[in-house]
Amino acid sequence: MTTNQFAIVDTDIHERVQYKDILKYLDEPFRHYITNCHWIQEKHMPYTQPAVAGVDRADAITPDGRPGGSDLAFMQKQLLDDIGHEYGILTSALDPSPSSMHGWYEMATALASAYNDWQIEEWLDKDDRLYGSVHIAAQDRDAAIKEIERVGSHPKMVQVLLPIDDIMWGDPFYHPIFEACEKHQLMIGMHHNEPPVYYGKWPRYFIEWHTLIPTAHMKQVTNMIFNGVFDKFPKLGLIMIEGGFTWVPHLMWKMDQQYRDLRHEVPWLKRKPSDIFKQQIKVTTQPAEELTKQEFASLVEQMGTDEILCFSTDYPHWDYDSPTRALPKMDPELKKKIFAENAKAFYPKLPK
Amino acid sequence: MKEQIVCKTSDLEPGQMKASLFGKQSVVICRTLDGEFYAFLNQCTHQGAPLDKGMICGATTEESQPGEYHYCRKGEIIRCPWHGREFDIKNEGRMLANPNKKLPNYNVKIENDHVIIYK
Ligand code: FES
Repeated sequence: MTTNQFAIVDTDIHERVQYKDILKYLDEPFRHYITNCHWIQEKHMPYTQPAVAGVDRADAITPDGRPGGSDLAFMQKQLLDDIGHEYGILTSALDPSPSSMHGWYEMATALASAYNDWQIEEWLDKDDRLYGSVHIAAQDRDAAIKEIERVGSHPKMVQVLLPIDDIMWGDPFYHPIFEACEKHQLMIGMHHNEPPVYYGKWPRYFIEWHTLIPTAHMKQVTNMIFNGVFDKFPKLGLIMIEGGFTWVPHLMWKMDQQYRDLRHEVPWLKRKPSDIFKQQIKVTTQPAEELTKQEFASLVEQMGTDEILCFSTDYPHWDYDSPTRALPKMDPELKKKIFAENAKAFYPKLPK
Repeated sequence: MKEQIVCKTSDLEPGQMKASLFGKQSVVICRTLDGEFYAFLNQCTHQGAPLDKGMICGATTEESQPGEYHYCRKGEIIRCPWHGREFDIKNEGRMLANPNKKLPNYNVKIENDHVIIYK
């Protein structure tokens, strides 16, 4: 039974892979390194798990005990059918994302390819509502471009995923990746991996780290804009996933004021940063702070457009946002835009 | 409906909880370590998560000074399965981070090994 009465495009759904599930898609010798040589993923976070079931909603654990997001049928039942999604964008990363892995670029590249094939075969081909993200290991730029060329034209791949971590993606070294994206009508989806939010380090507590994730998103947006990515690639779009949205007016004002004073340093910027933001950047809503109707409306007004925000649940993670409970009441036109139309307008490959 | 049997006392060990129905309403029955029973609406006040899928646990308390942990209240706190908000079973289901908010609760009595809740 569908619980909502309005169209929803959910811009952040995490399907989850166990390494053993992608082994059959993984080329040798990398499969051998995992099955016979004890390669395991690296993990960094020094904290207790945030919630009852680790980083997942406790009720998203599958009936046979696998982690949330591992099973398409269960996700369909608990999320897509129950809520009545029109479309959902899959944004899972391997954990860590291949572009965040330290060292051994070849393994990261091979894992990204295996992941893409697994995602297409086990998810995108099996549910019409689901659209996908191309995973790459961007540290090996040229291999990453090959991967975009290999799977980027798949009709259900709508973006290339880049982690927000300790690489600033606006650097010209990565621009050929954006060129490949533009060629395949792929947008860039940025989602944090485990960004160092305290001057390159971990704060003492998870609550500090999680509070400051939006600062990592702000850094990437600032870096992409001032490095001229959007001037160079006018058809490229960037969506900032899971950093919340209340920071947007502040950053627009700050960048515009700096631009008025310091434009001489970045002469390639032909538009005000806030105009670039409005034209080429979207921001997902989750994790939404609890705002009143007035606070929310005023914030959207401060953005100067109601076309930036795109609703997202972040299912199955612990900080999931319910489509009926997370955002305050808003007028029907705005609701249509935030819950579906803005995302449809953003992704060229999403049916209108 | 005024009162209703929601489960047997033997259905819950101390420190456990389970969902049941009160009329059409989903409720969560909790049993604290001293053996007492409590009942709340099975819906988190935040975004409506089913509380029975969360955890009964203890809490680190507000008496702690910075850098100190005191783990106590074992078996008396419901932690929500989604965003982890903590509700105090023995204090009317009040939220630890904001005691002005509480879970809607029900009266409970035990008769012949039956847990009965009533409004
Ligand atoms: S729904 Fe319970 S803490 Fe958010």
